Amino acid sequence: MEAIKLGSTTVGITTPHGTILAVEKRVQSTLLETSSIEKIMEIDSHIGCAMSGLTADARTMVEHARMTGQMHAFTYDEPIKVESVAQAVCDLALRFGESVDDDEAMMSRPFGVALLIAGVDEFGPSLFHTDPSGTFTRYDAKAIGSGSDAAQTSLQDAYNKNMTLDEAHRLALKILKEVMEEKVDENNIQLAQVVRAEGSKEAKFEILSGEATKQLIAAM
Amino acid sequence: MPEAIQHRFDPYSSNGGSILAIAGKDFAVVAGDTRQSEGYSIQSRYQKKVFPLTSKAILAVNGFAADGNNFVKRVKQRLEWYTHAHNKEMPIKSIARLIQTMLYARRMFPYYVYNVLAGIEEDDGTGAVYSFDPVGSYERETCRAAGAAQSLLQPFLDNQIYFRNHTPAPGQPPFDPSTHPLSTVLSILVDSFSSATERHIEVGDFLEGYVILSPGRTSDDLIGEGVKGVLPEGMTVEEQDPEDLDVQSAVAGKGCRVFLVRKELKRD
Amino acid sequence: MGSPMEMNGGSVIAMTGKDCVAIASDLRLGQQAVGLSADFEKVFPINNQLYVGLPGFATDTYTLREHLRFRVNMYRMKEEREITPKTFAHLLSSTLYEKRFGPYFIEPVIAGIPAPSAIDPDPKPFICNMDTIGCITTPKDFVVAGTATDKLYGVAEGLWEPDLEPEDLFETISQTLLAAVDRDCISGWGAVVHVITKDKIITRHLKGRMD
Repeated sequence: MEAIKLGSTTVGITTPHGTILAVEKRVQSTLLETSSIEKIMEIDSHIGCAMSGLTADARTMVEHARMTGQMHAFTYDEPIKVESVAQAVCDLALRFGESVDDDEAMMSRPFGVALLIAGVDEFGPSLFHTDPSGTFTRYDAKAIGSGSDAAQTSLQDAYNKNMTLDEAHRLALKILKEVMEEKVDENNIQLAQVVRAEGSKEAKFEILSGEATKQLIAAM
Repeated sequence: MPEAIQHRFDPYSSNGGSILAIAGKDFAVVAGDTRQSEGYSIQSRYQKKVFPLTSKAILAVNGFAADGNNFVKRVKQRLEWYTHAHNKEMPIKSIARLIQTMLYARRMFPYYVYNVLAGIEEDDGTGAVYSFDPVGSYERETCRAAGAAQSLLQPFLDNQIYFRNHTPAPGQPPFDPSTHPLSTVLSILVDSFSSATERHIEVGDFLEGYVILSPGRTSDDLIGEGVKGVLPEGMTVEEQDPEDLDVQSAVAGKGCRVFLVRKELKRD
Repeated sequence: MGSPMEMNGGSVIAMTGKDCVAIASDLRLGQQAVGLSADFEKVFPINNQLYVGLPGFATDTYTLREHLRFRVNMYRMKEEREITPKTFAHLLSSTLYEKRFGPYFIEPVIAGIPAPSAIDPDPKPFICNMDTIGCITTPKDFVVAGTATDKLYGVAEGLWEPDLEPEDLFETISQTLLAAVDRDCISGWGAVVHVITKDKIITRHLKGRMD
């Protein structure tokens, strides 16, 4: 639980048009290839997640979430709900210490990571927060990680239910800028969105390209 | 030299009867006869093989009755689990896929059952019919007959529903099978089963099934004055209270109306 | 090798109408699943008012047709009159029963209008069918035979109605046959329909699915 308070700041915002995610990448060294830090991952074509804490643990959880999403689509011929993914992740979070037939427990300790799961399903855009206790909660906008206290306050002030996607991106950038020590650029943050394109039935998750991120920062 | 005695495990039998489903633009009809037989013996003159699953999906099962009943039970159980896990009623498209996975899971020891699923599609409110083979191959269609009298019924439906070998008069638009009014579909249903009863010994006693009307449907409904023009002679209709249907619907269906229809068939 | 009855494929149907009868067959000849010919008629004229359909084992279709031609010609010469449908049915029946323990693999269908006579000035249209050993059945409505038997029964039972006029009877029998053979892998490949009325015979070839 303490581990996640030390993680990098991560913000998620829902709008009527889609849900966005923004994370801070902590670039430890100038020699680090920034594109190798992956803090936002796709879960399904209509769901993505951002993480804060022990990111290695998140890989296991995302793997489980992806599997759950694919199994759902295979069995029911429909995209899984965002809430069901959050539930599946939290089910896994409580599986530590379990063992089969006297074998060593597969997971020895709780996960040390919090996730923001963003997606658009049949009920519209939504954002869920999961934490190591296996609790999940739905938010209109949520910040996690080391700068979360300040960030959440800013969200509280600036958020409104009818934001455009662009406004949401800018708000997320503004908040990251406030809580980050170094100057924000396309290398030390990552942006993603899940949007239902005009006239389309399917929502699409995408991580914004460096170029798109750069433009958003410039327009800030 | 005495012959070696051979023992063979044969857990299957066939219990006759037939089922039939037809999808309209904003309704679906699914029905079956209620005779259950084994060989030349009638085991029951009134045994259901059409079951409501949700407020807008109904499953007809035909073939080996024991497998059929057990299969319906397991599908209902899966629907209940789904409702608990996802807090909504399973859409018919998803039920169809679920049935495929359940049937294919038993690829090497199949449920000896032909399934026909009928109801209302979630996203556009159209009538839908899905048909399956015993190991889960499935397809959405406008109509489907299955069971003992499939070979008698299906070509008749090809002719009456799909207009096969019919040519529109010059200048007329092509025929569209999804535009049949409910009254036409019900009389085709009754004629089909009367014919099958006449020529097939395993079909008869009663015709029982359901009509599901899409939420948007207003015209020629099945209660009040409208009935006279819609219902074939000898057919009775009862609107079903969603509360009374033994179905899984934690979230109330979006206003689909379900009607039970019955008609006597010949008993010989 | 499968049963001779399903080796070559093919179906025949006959229906009664108001002062008319119709008889129709598909045109396929195959060797099990392989189609060989799309002009193999299985219905043959016996005289101006009488047709016989001989679906089943194709070699027996030929043999029986030639045998019947011989027997009917002999009848015509000896009796100096045309054979009536009913008499012809019994001729065919006894011909088949002669081969009781090694039958022709044919289920015949007969359709005709008897000529008026002194004892029966207004004869009814006649249809009948029989099994491979000559057991005759004479229903009022329609008879079917061949590999699409089940399907023909199902459709005919739904479409047929009493006292159809020749053109309506033509439409009914055509739709019935096409609907049935389209659901049978080894029947189809076109069809031929004969409508027999008191004073004429209408023969039409139908285009059908070629698959």
